[in-house]
Amino acid sequence: MNYDIVVPPTADGSAEVTLVSWIKEVGSPVKKGEDLAEATTEKITLYVTAPADGTLHEINVPVGEKVRVGQVIGVMVG
Amino acid sequence: MPYEPAFAIQERILEARMRDRLPSTIILQENSSVFTIGRTGSRSNILASADELQRLGIEVLEVNRGGDITYHGPGQLIVSPLLYLGDVDLNANQYLHRLEDVLIDLLSTFGIRTYKKKDYPGVWWNQAKIGAVGIAVKHGYTFHGFSLNVNLDLAPFNLINPCGVSQMLITSLHQILGHEIPITEIKEKLHEILVETFSLSMRDVSYKEVQEVLVSGNA
Repeated sequence: MNYDIVVPPTADGSAEVTLVSWIKEVGSPVKKGEDLAEATTEKITLYVTAPADGTLHEINVPVGEKVRVGQVIGVMVG
Repeated sequence: MPYEPAFAIQERILEARMRDRLPSTIILQENSSVFTIGRTGSRSNILASADELQRLGIEVLEVNRGGDITYHGPGQLIVSPLLYLGDVDLNANQYLHRLEDVLIDLLSTFGIRTYKKKDYPGVWWNQAKIGAVGIAVKHGYTFHGFSLNVNLDLAPFNLINPCGVSQMLITSLHQILGHEIPITEIKEKLHEILVETFSLSMRDVSYKEVQEVLVSGNA
């Protein structure tokens, strides 16, 4: 089953954040809740975490790009 | 306490908090001298040479809060609320600004009038910054928080572009009031303001007590 990896909706809904790192690589096994990526505004770091146990299958957004809260930035296979 | 072991403790408490093994927890600490660089920061904002930093005994660390470079040292109170944003009914941006409000309220009890500055997060007195904010959020739980310059030696700020801004003025309670303020006095007033702001019922616990919970559950 595929699971979307989504920027968490903890910031203001309109906020744009910058993806600053992918903590896991494509193909890495991950457990539900593990950190996958970090996104940041000027003073807030948001952790994007794994929605399920599985493998990081696809990274859609490279480091350095702006993303929106709620945006899908990758796919996991569980 | 040095920054790295202090932050390791914060991460362990966060893990325990996320598993509901600990209630909302607010960590108060003072660090030994260190420049920390947040996720949007760069070492190019350090103006001193590595030799000079070594001579002064100032460490440099890259850390996972938002923001650029800042200085921490003895006499600066660092406050890290580990709260669940759903519990306080705020999103991350609102929470960040609420922390600034906490600082403004706290400083007003000392007769110091401070304000927020658009596009420059933190708390300001005249044109100088007295308190800094920078948070991280994981699964809706917050960590990092804010720092307040109480009796901090401000000289090391001259060795960096604080928050990536050159010529930024930094001040402290000591500098404004002209005398030292006991950190315990700050903590007592802060306790009251945090209770009111976040509707918490709080009691002071030592690190030893927290450690017992962490060890007992192998958190």
